[in-house]
Amino acid sequence: MTTTTAAEKKIIAVTIDGTPVGVPEGSTILDAAQKAGARIPTLCHHPSLAPIGSCRVCLVSVAGVDRPATACNTQALAGMAITTRSEGLFNLRREVIKMILAHHPLNCTPCPLNGDCRLQDMAYEYDLTTFDFSEYLLKTVEFPWKAFSTPILDYHPRRCILCGRCVKVCAEIRGLGAITMNGAGAHTVVEPVMADRESQSRCISCGECMRICPVNAIEERMGSAKGKPWETTKTQTTCTYCGVGCQLDLNVVGGRVVGVTTRDDVGVNRGRLCSKGRFGYTFIHSPDRLSRPLVRNAAGELEETTWTTALTLVAREFRRIRDNHGPQALAALSSARCTNEENYLFQRLARQVFGTNNVDHCARL
Amino acid sequence: MAKVIIGCWQDDLIDNRNTPKRLIEDGYPGLDELEKDNRLRAFIGWDGFFIFDREAPVVDMFRAYVQKVQEESCGYCTPCRIGTKIMADKLGSIADGFGREQDLEEIRKLALVIRDSSLCELGHTSMSALLKAMKTMPEVFEQAVRERRPVPRGAYHSIATAPCIEACPAHLDIPSYVDAIRSGNYFESLAIIGRKNPLAGICGRVCVRPCEFVCRRAELDEPISIKYLKRFVNDQIFSYAMTRLRSVEPTPLSSDKKIAIIGAGPCGLTAAFFLRRKGYGVKVFEELREPGGMSAVGIPDYRLPREIINTEVNRIAAEGVEFHYGVRIGRDVTLKQLRSEYDAVLMAIGAHGSKMIGMEGEEAKPSGLVAGVTFLRDLNLLHPRGEFTPPEGKHVVVVGGGNVAMDCARSARRLGYPQVSIVYRRTEKEMPADNEEIRDAKLEGVEIHFLTHPIRLEVSDGKVTGITCIRMELGEPDASGRRRPVEVKGSEFLFACDIVIPAIGQATDLSLISGDMPIKTTKWGTVEVDENTLMSSREGIFSGGDCVTGPKALIDAMGHGIHAAHSIDLYLRGETMGPPESERIFRMLKAMDLPQSPVNRVGNKPRRHLEPRPVEERMGDFDEIEGGYMPKEAIREAERCLRCYRIAMFVTEE
Repeated sequence: MTTTTAAEKKIIAVTIDGTPVGVPEGSTILDAAQKAGARIPTLCHHPSLAPIGSCRVCLVSVAGVDRPATACNTQALAGMAITTRSEGLFNLRREVIKMILAHHPLNCTPCPLNGDCRLQDMAYEYDLTTFDFSEYLLKTVEFPWKAFSTPILDYHPRRCILCGRCVKVCAEIRGLGAITMNGAGAHTVVEPVMADRESQSRCISCGECMRICPVNAIEERMGSAKGKPWETTKTQTTCTYCGVGCQLDLNVVGGRVVGVTTRDDVGVNRGRLCSKGRFGYTFIHSPDRLSRPLVRNAAGELEETTWTTALTLVAREFRRIRDNHGPQALAALSSARCTNEENYLFQRLARQVFGTNNVDHCARL
Repeated sequence: MAKVIIGCWQDDLIDNRNTPKRLIEDGYPGLDELEKDNRLRAFIGWDGFFIFDREAPVVDMFRAYVQKVQEESCGYCTPCRIGTKIMADKLGSIADGFGREQDLEEIRKLALVIRDSSLCELGHTSMSALLKAMKTMPEVFEQAVRERRPVPRGAYHSIATAPCIEACPAHLDIPSYVDAIRSGNYFESLAIIGRKNPLAGICGRVCVRPCEFVCRRAELDEPISIKYLKRFVNDQIFSYAMTRLRSVEPTPLSSDKKIAIIGAGPCGLTAAFFLRRKGYGVKVFEELREPGGMSAVGIPDYRLPREIINTEVNRIAAEGVEFHYGVRIGRDVTLKQLRSEYDAVLMAIGAHGSKMIGMEGEEAKPSGLVAGVTFLRDLNLLHPRGEFTPPEGKHVVVVGGGNVAMDCARSARRLGYPQVSIVYRRTEKEMPADNEEIRDAKLEGVEIHFLTHPIRLEVSDGKVTGITCIRMELGEPDASGRRRPVEVKGSEFLFACDIVIPAIGQATDLSLISGDMPIKTTKWGTVEVDENTLMSSREGIFSGGDCVTGPKALIDAMGHGIHAAHSIDLYLRGETMGPPESERIFRMLKAMDLPQSPVNRVGNKPRRHLEPRPVEERMGDFDEIEGGYMPKEAIREAERCLRCYRIAMFVTEE
């Protein structure tokens, strides 16, 4: 059993493209390169996940070893001399990116990630266009007609580049391990894990896999036209579903909330959300939502009115009930959608103005 | 003997294309057993290829090879998943007569990318043969592109293997279940093990792990801890398996044929499991009151707790196998009766008898002389019930250098004997016991005397008082390659002791076949069987495990169990018996004994060792001395696997 102790975290010296750099023992080559200011392209690597090493675009050369090594999951060792840029590496990375793109649709225009896509940036950097694949004479790969989906999420095997991030995030961060890779070779797809044929998938549609997918292969089913990155305004706010206080960004296009995204380094949740916080935003523009006060008229029908009229009516009636039947005839029930401060004020109102301790809260949604 | 026309392995090139046929002398032995009357034409492997036939379908066989790589690719890394698909498509179009001139250059370029950038050894090795073929005989490929017409096709037999898979007698798909652990998929991992091995918990504790000795990770740092990873998945799902037992439905009986299995040891249990899975009615007869055979009564509980064996057997019983304990064939029922009542019989009776050392005075069986297997058997059966009376005395001498000797000595220390010694006639290097066993025995205070051989038992009043030994020295190597120990004249000395435990070998009790149904035996006192079918000299009676091979490891007996189940299945269906194709390919690969280029990557991720309980604590009981891996450690350990998958493909006539 190896345990990490302070003594083991000693600094070791490596050279990155001839520049000496000191990194704590146990760092990867990628960490060392970042420290030395050398940029290595990555695709499957994600800071919140254990290194995967599947996409193979972060290949670097290590002196004394014939095979290139992946920077993301190779530990830097003392005295290692690493080359991150060379013509050979450029060509190798270019070929690997070409292979990824060969099985990924290149009609970027309708893709919501268009303009904010790592793969697209890489194709640009490594000078790859549709014409580069003509020499491959690719035969189409037939995927299962019915791909994995839940009531909230859809998986698109054709877009998927099988980086494996979704599988990792489900196991490492969500702790479910609900999805895995099945099939072989070019027919590999992401599928739910079934303990046996009868059992249900363990997926709870939290959408962590969707958040971490670099190519939009997992998509929410609430309509696809969500606006392009350059026309979207992101407003940071606190999730209103429970008391944890997760930070999220409401994506607003043309005055309408079209989606929820998160940032890996923000808030207590560090980019994570549950399915309510991530997908429960459609109520905002629901036509059933009350946007103005309604008061019943003599005929018993609800009629639009002003806030002054409505609040005056409520205050008068509450006072009447308290005076005629005593404060215990009143109760206050507040909502989890309100903030802590609003809930605090509301119970103060009940206890000090109404004079009752009949206070309750739905506490969850 | 298959003779090479042209071939390439690592850096060696054989080119006999222009050599007259009569001059091609050297051939590969053992290469004619894939199929009778089906001539071998070519072989493609991980470091090169051999062509035995001038007319071999070169282009198409490489297409088939790359296609096989694509089918075996796990889909995890880009170059292997997509690159080999592009390669297979391209080679396919050349083979179909649609090749273009630039295709060959493209293929060469892609092959280099796949070789250099793949994640695991499957990708690294898959392109080597093709690259070598395109270098040594480019004209064949150029001709196919130029002529633009379909090339001849061939018949192919391929297998995805790895050094560890080949070394395992049960041919367990080790990289695959290690990979499932790495991705946290323990259920799948145990299911992969279960395809070949129904005794994961037992194997995960006491297997002699031939796989780890060939693990290529050792070239970088240390081998993968395959044994403890197996133990980890089994123990992870232990409680799940227990709850599931109630709901497991036995496999439906699809045949009215019935099979009797004699002996509930590793071989018998494995065969019973696979035969029941195939839909036969299976009954297991066991002389002892509990299952496990030698794994239960030959291995002390501190190495293999009895509850592990019982869980595994319950799992097998839940499949629908019936167990009858306390039945000795030859005493309660005769073999003849059994044979007449059942359609097939498997004898897996092990080797529970002990061998004599050949020293003076042991025939008289004085008090204080206890055979190793008898000592362990009494200890295992009686000690848990508190009925075991250890032989009286203070100083124990165990004779032998195998795992049984270590088990005896370490158990004796646990029973409280203050002085326990082992005498072994060679040195530590030649000792057949596991290194860990030797290390632990020394830690637990067992003295080991090397190059010492007992020649006479000293007895007084019918009780052992000592043992006269002679010093040995190592001479010339013998047939096994170990240097033969030679006595040093006049070096006799007396070793005073009260108890002598010989543990130098075991013998099979063949009394059950000497009665009404004689079966041929060998001069080594084992059952004679046809090694291709495991059938004995009597039709319908099969035999496997220690009673055929002599005392060997648990996993060897399990390999026999799988083999016997396969043969019995074919026998009962009236088909020609023989090993399955995969087994024949494994044999051919073993006969070829091809080397593999060294692993060339960044290593230095040492193995995770288990923390044993402190010596003072573990000496007081027979509980396991080490806990298994924690999930995080197991995943880290599994990540070390290089997945040395390699594809072997044989091209034949039809």
